[in-house]
Amino acid sequence: MNFSWRRARSVALKEYKHILRDPFTLLVTLVLPLVFVGFFGFVIDLDYKHMRVYVRDNDQTSVSRRFLQEAASSGYFDLKPIHGQFQLDQALERNDSPALLVIRRGFGKNVRAGNPENPGEIQLLSDGTDNVQASIMGSYMQGVVQKANAVFAKDNPDLTDAAAGAGERIRSRFLFNPELNSRWFIVPALSTIIIGFLAIVLTALTVAKEWENGSMELLLSTPVRPSEIVLGKLVPYFLLTFFDVLVVFLLAIYVFQIPFLGSFLFYMVACWVYITGALALGLVISVVTRQQQASIQFAFAVGLLPSFIFSGFIFPIENMPAFFQYFTALFPQRWFLLISRTVFLSDAAPATLATALGAIVVFASAMILLAVHKFKTDVEP
Amino acid sequence: MNQNEPVIRVKDLVVSFGAFRAVDGVSFDVRRGEIFGFLGANGAGKTTTIRTICGILNPSSGSVEVDGHDISSSTAVLKPHIGYMSQKFTLYPDLTVRENLYFAGSLYGMTPKQIAERSHKLMDFIGLSEELPDPVSHLSGGVKQMAALASSLLHDPELVFLDEPTAGTSPQTRASFWALIRRLAERGKTVFVTTHYMDEAEYCGRIALMERGKIVAMGTPAELKKKFFPVKPLELSFTKPVQHAVRQALEKAGIASAVFGATLRVRAPERAELERVIAPFQDGVSVQEAEPTLEDVFLQAVSGRKAV
Repeated sequence: MNFSWRRARSVALKEYKHILRDPFTLLVTLVLPLVFVGFFGFVIDLDYKHMRVYVRDNDQTSVSRRFLQEAASSGYFDLKPIHGQFQLDQALERNDSPALLVIRRGFGKNVRAGNPENPGEIQLLSDGTDNVQASIMGSYMQGVVQKANAVFAKDNPDLTDAAAGAGERIRSRFLFNPELNSRWFIVPALSTIIIGFLAIVLTALTVAKEWENGSMELLLSTPVRPSEIVLGKLVPYFLLTFFDVLVVFLLAIYVFQIPFLGSFLFYMVACWVYITGALALGLVISVVTRQQQASIQFAFAVGLLPSFIFSGFIFPIENMPAFFQYFTALFPQRWFLLISRTVFLSDAAPATLATALGAIVVFASAMILLAVHKFKTDVEP
Repeated sequence: MNQNEPVIRVKDLVVSFGAFRAVDGVSFDVRRGEIFGFLGANGAGKTTTIRTICGILNPSSGSVEVDGHDISSSTAVLKPHIGYMSQKFTLYPDLTVRENLYFAGSLYGMTPKQIAERSHKLMDFIGLSEELPDPVSHLSGGVKQMAALASSLLHDPELVFLDEPTAGTSPQTRASFWALIRRLAERGKTVFVTTHYMDEAEYCGRIALMERGKIVAMGTPAELKKKFFPVKPLELSFTKPVQHAVRQALEKAGIASAVFGATLRVRAPERAELERVIAPFQDGVSVQEAEPTLEDVFLQAVSGRKAV
């Protein structure tokens, strides 16, 4: 009962021929990454610019105008002044703006006085139905306030240091992606999604197909062993998926001009491990369900969903409740996403990603063992 | 090895799926070089028995020994010596015949050269061109079956299991299948075959009749005929259109009859009774002795069991 490389190779060659003759598999593998990159890279733009903001300036001083000028020149806001209650009601009815900025009467006076106990105040009312936009707008406005504070401090050298610093309580800098360019953030993560979904779907069909068309009966009557079938089925799909990873990588570098600062070798090793784990998970699904339809449903559930939701791609892990932060650790998508983003955007030493790499190694090994172990070697229904 | 020594020993084999006993206490031996036929209706348990002997189903109880090895513990040792052609079509539809054969052969550790030589010989004998360029799915039913047979014989197995190899094929294909099976047996291979066709069963050295998971009769075709028909069955032929009326009269009298072409067949021991029943139709019916076919045997064996 020894493992035979020759038999594993035969299975791999056979699987390779299946791929070549199945236009659907080829199409999905070659087109899906392009669709993903096109969609997330070009169409979806999480950078909010020129957000329409209605402005009601009740102060009407040179200071308030100076502040608004500062806000307009930031490029994030399209300011639309409104006058009087009637226009305000109209604006609210039109419902075409996410926010209303109100400058209170006495704003200019308070700023000039520079009393930290009684600062000049502005009010930003934002539409909470789009919380992402609302919070982004809040932080952009925060930036405008800081900048304005600096300007006012320069204009008014009589202000005490304490007063000048009054508006500078928040101080954040975005390292590695100073402009918080969302493409820099999204495109390196796309490999995570593509592998985490595509690889699982590809292999999820293969064993189930053999059960459904009867060829499994033939396979089982020959001396071939589950470990040889599992390895033989992994290799061709590994190459196929890795090809996709390279395509996405090249698009990221040459089309989206995303910097790659980390270790290329480390990234490649992580890709190989992650691809293997995802393919093996697909095999586990296939081996257990033995039906193509059920397999594909499972594959969507454990491939697509966690790739988006539990990986940190859409919802930042740090913002999740504690339970979910630990829960996401079960999904290799989370770890690979971390590796991807880090190696692209920072030159951190690979050692800092040891935990993440360790996690996907453990996952891949566990899935391979499970696929072999769960492989049914008799045809009992 | 001794020619007459059993190569397969099945003892009290039970295979259950949940509460359903697909094979219900079956025992038999198959000798080396024998053509052993398994007959029975769909669902009688033939396929389940074959799959168990091939090591792809686990017995619920009882034992299966092949070549002195227990099948449950020595599947890996035995599989290289077994060639199995499933009732289901098991080749890959998107690969060509040659690719399918190459794959099957390589799983048995054959080199490309060995596979090429062997498949050339097999295809030659079967009368199939190995150069068929199309994927298997484009081939006709008979050619597919032939290709599947070639695939199961490629590694020159000692034991060949053919599960309804001729189902749905033309008479010519059936004839060449059986020519091949006989030739395998002449070379000392043991062939275990199941079939629906009673005429094919005549080619078998020994046959077992299966019904609802049990073997209801076993022996050579001649033995079985003799056992179930110690007196030859009677055949009624008609010179006037009274067949229907005669059949009804027989039924009324409790005599089982079977339509056989234009004739009716009746079990012999009821001859006196029969003469009495058909007396009213005398000028339209003639009675003569007939050779029992395996179909008669099968019906007899099954109806006999049902009557109990």
